[in-house]
Amino acid sequence: MASIRFDKVGKRYANGFVAIENLDLEIRDREFLVLLGPSGCGKSTTLNMIAGLEEVTSGKLCFGDQLVNDIPPDRRDVAMVFQSYALYPHKTVYENIAFGLRMRRTPQAEVDARVRSAAQKLAITHLLDRRPSQLSGGQRQRVALGRAMVRRPAVFLMDEPLSNLDAALRISMRAEIKQLHEEMQTTFVYVTHDQAEALTLADRIVVMNDGAIEQIGTPHDIYEKPATIFVASFLGAPPINTLDGEIGGASGRPVFRCGDVALALPPAIAAPTGSKATLGLRAEDVTLDPKAQDDVAIDGVVNSILPIGSDQFIGMKVAGREFFFRLAKDQACAIGDRVRLAALTNRLHVFDAASGRSLAGG
Amino acid sequence: MSAAGPAGATGHVAGERHRRLRIAALWIASLIFVGYVTAPLVWLVSSSFQSEREITSKPPHWIPHEPTVQNFAAIFAAPKKDVTYETRRAADPASGGFIPSTAANLLPAMANSLIVAISVVILNLLVAIPAAYALAKIRFRGRDASIYAILTTRVIPDIALVVPFFLFIRNLGLLDTLASLIITYLAVTVPFSVFILTNYFEGLPDELDKAARVDGCSRLQTLLHVYVPLSLPAIVAVILFAFLASWNEFLLALMFTQTPNSQTLPIIVASFTSDFTISFSFINAAGVLAIIPPVLIALLFERYLVSGLTAGAVKG
Ligand SMILES: Nc1ncnc2c1ncn2[C@@H]1O[C@H](COP(=O)(O)OP(=O)(O)O)[C@@H](O)[C@H]1O
Ligand SMILES: [Mg+2]
Repeated sequence: MASIRFDKVGKRYANGFVAIENLDLEIRDREFLVLLGPSGCGKSTTLNMIAGLEEVTSGKLCFGDQLVNDIPPDRRDVAMVFQSYALYPHKTVYENIAFGLRMRRTPQAEVDARVRSAAQKLAITHLLDRRPSQLSGGQRQRVALGRAMVRRPAVFLMDEPLSNLDAALRISMRAEIKQLHEEMQTTFVYVTHDQAEALTLADRIVVMNDGAIEQIGTPHDIYEKPATIFVASFLGAPPINTLDGEIGGASGRPVFRCGDVALALPPAIAAPTGSKATLGLRAEDVTLDPKAQDDVAIDGVVNSILPIGSDQFIGMKVAGREFFFRLAKDQACAIGDRVRLAALTNRLHVFDAASGRSLAGG
Repeated sequence: MSAAGPAGATGHVAGERHRRLRIAALWIASLIFVGYVTAPLVWLVSSSFQSEREITSKPPHWIPHEPTVQNFAAIFAAPKKDVTYETRRAADPASGGFIPSTAANLLPAMANSLIVAISVVILNLLVAIPAAYALAKIRFRGRDASIYAILTTRVIPDIALVVPFFLFIRNLGLLDTLASLIITYLAVTVPFSVFILTNYFEGLPDELDKAARVDGCSRLQTLLHVYVPLSLPAIVAVILFAFLASWNEFLLALMFTQTPNSQTLPIIVASFTSDFTISFSFINAAGVLAIIPPVLIALLFERYLVSGLTAGAVKG
């Protein structure tokens, strides 16, 4: 049972490097919060501060009402799963899982019961006598999960726990972690640079960049209403198509212009005519439509086609930039075809060119 | 293998001969090396079981023709014997039936050496293990400076330290005590022990430290439950290094010790060579006794010296 509050938290490393600046964040009790961002943006630093493994150098960090800035990790009720698993090589799987309980002087009968029930849940009972060196990556991952589970911590921290697994295992483990959260009923803070993982697992996502928060929101909000160009381009595969241009306005309706591209924007776009803007258009937000009206149309010559089973990606030059669009497989086109696409204008994203912030009103 | 290919049978035979030649060459080289290393040791042990007359025979007897334990008997009987100029003159040098005037000091010196060496080993571990952990895993202000300072002390030769050490020990009133040796040996060995262990700890993943900390270990518990068990090969290396360095040390012991109260084995054995007459068989018997403790320690920790015990386990 714990909510966690960051109040203007900063982290300056001993070498003077400022990894986190002025972080304000409220993590709710029992939620599944994902810290998402590119490598080096300060996700692990943030997680380590929650664990007490890195000192908070400015601001306040609270668990519930309690200020924890100076409380060492062994006196915080947190458990953590690491990217490298960090199993104790000299201990058996059983002892690895039991270690945290033993350090807290849990009675032996209780230790045994918890270790065995966790092992059963994770299907590693037959491995209890092995040492970590005799396990596969996926098995080590489960042991690391078990070690954290048996503690029944108030806060469950995971730092890229799946990134050392192969793709298939990664996807099945996602489901297990989600289920674990439901069973454990505790606060989960999960760090990843994999947007798909974040979108699948999170109740809320915190997108970080360069030591600061870009946006906090549900997976839906983050994907559909990116607050900044950074968020828009970090989520989605392939990355969102972007184009630099300016806002024009004809008869009260804003229009985005760049070269021969002119797209009508939703009326809510709040920007004065003539201001510089960046357009974001996701690959899937177009349809093939030869009869599209001029103010929603994108014209171009197909220069690449990448079938991906269910759909196909087509590449074409738009106003000098290479764009990728996702079309259904039955929408036939071939390399060299001149095509007209209709953009779903209510799904266009427009950002201020200077600040990168979304111009969507409200 | 290189032998496989269109050359067929002849190529195969040639490859086989080549391989055998290489193995033979390796064997010969190894044997020469082993002989080079062990010959002095074999001669030491062999001659300690020979009389003074046999030891000087030509050619030398690698295996004693008339093995005798009189040298060892003399060492253990020495404290009870009164060694004077007259008793020594009475003995026949050729038979080895005489002993050095300081022979009675040999066993007490061995005890001194053991006390010093064991103390130095224990204190080395007590100081170096926590120091190395702090240097390897805790980012504190002045960490790099500390590491450089510790390393710098290792490039100063002992001879340059003798005078400062002497003044220091004299002013503390510790001349001719075992404490003088323990203190100065620590000063010489601890930096290197810290260096060995810091390197080893740095090789262990940081995440192991973090895992232990969130599992509920204090810093000290992390060290005891995780780092020490994982570092046994390095710790054993430190034990052997500190023990041997103290056991063999001569220069500082020569400066600080004056009486059998504090004289160590190397000092006493060296004194046998500056006697009226020199008994090589007796000295060699003393030498055999001197190598027994280090050998025992090496055997005791042998399985940790074979590295690789944890090498596979540590790497994720
Ligand atoms: N101990 C440290 N000393 C100095 N800088 C560090 C230290 N640890 C991390 N950093 C820096 O802080 C930034 C954030 O690191 P980290 O939180 O590990 O990023 P992430 O987990 O998002 O990839 C990086 O630029 C990294 O180089
Ligand atoms: Mg990280």
